[in-house]
Amino acid sequence: MTPDQQRQKIVKRERWIKLTIVAVILISALVVLLAIPGMLVSFLIAFVITYLFKPPVNYLERMGVGRTIAILIPFIVLGGIIATSSSILIPKAADQISALQLELPKYIKGVSDITIRHTKKFNSALSQFSSVNLSEKIELWLQGASGSLLISIPNWVTQLFTTMILAPFFAFFMLRDGREISRQLLGFVPNHLFELSLNLMYQINQQLGGFIRARLLESVIVGVVVWLGLSIMGFPYSAILAVFAGLTNLIPYIGPIIGAVPAIIVAMVNQEGGTSTIALVGLVYLIAQIVDMLVIIPLVIAKIVDLHPVTVVIVIITGGQFMGVLGMIISIPVASIIKLTFTVFYNHVVDFRS
Amino acid sequence: MGAKKFYYDHDRLGALVNFLWDNIFKRLEREQDIGAILANNILFRNLSKSELKFIEKIIHIRKYRAGETIFRQNENGVGMYIVVKGRVDISIIDEILLEPNTEKEVVVTRLEPGDFFGELSLVEEISRRSATAISSEDTVLIGFFKPDLLEILERSPSIGVKVVFRLAEVLGRRLKETTEKISQLKKEIRLLGELHEVQHDTRSATPENR
Repeated sequence: MTPDQQRQKIVKRERWIKLTIVAVILISALVVLLAIPGMLVSFLIAFVITYLFKPPVNYLERMGVGRTIAILIPFIVLGGIIATSSSILIPKAADQISALQLELPKYIKGVSDITIRHTKKFNSALSQFSSVNLSEKIELWLQGASGSLLISIPNWVTQLFTTMILAPFFAFFMLRDGREISRQLLGFVPNHLFELSLNLMYQINQQLGGFIRARLLESVIVGVVVWLGLSIMGFPYSAILAVFAGLTNLIPYIGPIIGAVPAIIVAMVNQEGGTSTIALVGLVYLIAQIVDMLVIIPLVIAKIVDLHPVTVVIVIITGGQFMGVLGMIISIPVASIIKLTFTVFYNHVVDFRS
Repeated sequence: MGAKKFYYDHDRLGALVNFLWDNIFKRLEREQDIGAILANNILFRNLSKSELKFIEKIIHIRKYRAGETIFRQNENGVGMYIVVKGRVDISIIDEILLEPNTEKEVVVTRLEPGDFFGELSLVEEISRRSATAISSEDTVLIGFFKPDLLEILERSPSIGVKVVFRLAEVLGRRLKETTEKISQLKKEIRLLGELHEVQHDTRSATPENR
C-alpha cells in the first residue's frame, strides 16, 4: 500500500470512530431524556426558558455585565415575579379550587342532567331500541373520573414542583455552558461533515428560538384576551380559565377548542343567563382566536418553515400517537428541524458549478 | 522478587508520569501556539488580552491528516481558517482544458503557519468556495465561522466591530492587489500585441512585397 493509500485508510477509520462517538453521545442523551419520567418535560421547559432568556442575557452582556451575572439577573427577576404573583394568586387559586371542589358535585349533576334530557329525547326518537341507562352510567363515570382527578392532584403537584426546580437549574447551565458543550460536541464531528454540522446547528438554533418566542407570545395574547373578556362578563373562575386557555392554545388545531370547553361547561351548568351566557362565552373565546390569528399569521407563519398543510396534520397526528399531548405540541418544531436538516445537508452536498 | 516488583512498578510509574507530562505539556504548548497565532493574525491584532481570551473560547480547533480535504471548490462555505501548524495547498480546478476531457487541478499557493484563507465566506450570504484546500501534512487549523462572528457581534459588539473592520481591510487589500495584477497583465498583453504587430510588419516588408 502506498503511503497515500495508508493515510487515506487512517483518515477513513478516524472518520468512522468520530461519527460513532457523536452518534453514541446523541443517542444516549435521547435515551436518558425519554426513559426517566418527567425528565423530558423538565428539559423541554428548560429549553423554552433558555430561548426566552437569551435576548435579555445577551443585552445585559452587551451592556458590560459579566456573563454569569447577566444570566442570574433574569432568573432572579423571574423568581421575584413568581414569588410575588404566587403570594397574591395562590390564596385566590386555593379559594377557587376549594370552591370548585364544593361545586364539583353540582357540575357533575348538571352535566348528567343535561345528558339525561338529551338521552330522553334520543330514546323517545328511537323507542324501538331498549333505552340504555346511559345517564346513570355517565354519572358514575364522571364521579369516578373526577374522584381520581382530585386524588391525583397532590401527586401532580409534587411532579410539578420537581419540574419547577429542575427546569430552571437546567436552563441556567444551558445558558452558561450551552455554547461550550456544543463546541465540544462539534469537536468530535469528522472533518468532512464539520462545516455542515456547524451550519445546521446554527440554523436550528435560529429557527427554534423564533418559533418558541412566537408561540409563547401567542399563548399570552390568547390568555389575556380570554381573561379580559370573561372578567368583563363577570364570569367565575376567569383567571384559571384564562391560564388554561393560554396553555391549551399551544396544542395545534384542537387546543383552542379544548380551552373553551371548561368555560362552556360552567356556563351550561350555571344556567343563570340561559343560552345568551353560553353564546357570550363562546364569543369571548372566538374573539381570542381571531386576535390570535391576526397576530400569529405574520409572526409565526414566517417561522414555521414551509411545511405543507397536509404534512402539518400528519406530523401532529404522529406526534400525538407517540407522545400524547406533549407530542402534539412539539411535533411541529421537531418536523421543521428535520426538514431544515435535509435542506442544509442538500445545499452542502449538491455541487453547483456555475 | 520484591526488588524486581519495585523496579517494575517504578518503571510503570515513570512511564505514567511521562505520559501525563507529555500530554499536559503538549496541550499547554498547543494552547500557547494557538493563542500566539491568534494574537498575531491581522484580524485580531488590535485586541486586548481579555478580548483575545473571549475569542479563544469561540473559535474551533480542527486537526487534519496529510492529504485530507478541508473544503472543495464550489462547496458551501461557512467561514475562514488560520493555519497553526502544518501546510495547506490551495488549488483551483482549471476550466480551460489543455487536453479534452481532463480537468486540471492547479495548485495556486502553499500556505504556512500564520496564513489564513476562506475569509470571503464570513461575509457572503450564500458563499461558494472559490478554490480547494487540502492539507499537505498533519495540520492544525483555527476555524472562525460566520455563526461565531455573529455571536461575537451579539454578545460583545465592540470586539466584533474591531474584527469586522480588520476583515474589511483584508478584503480591500486583496481587491487592490488583484486590480494591480490585472492592470499589469493588461500592460503585458498590450506589449505582446504591439510586439506581434511589429514582427508582422517587418515580415510583411519582405522581398516579395517590394
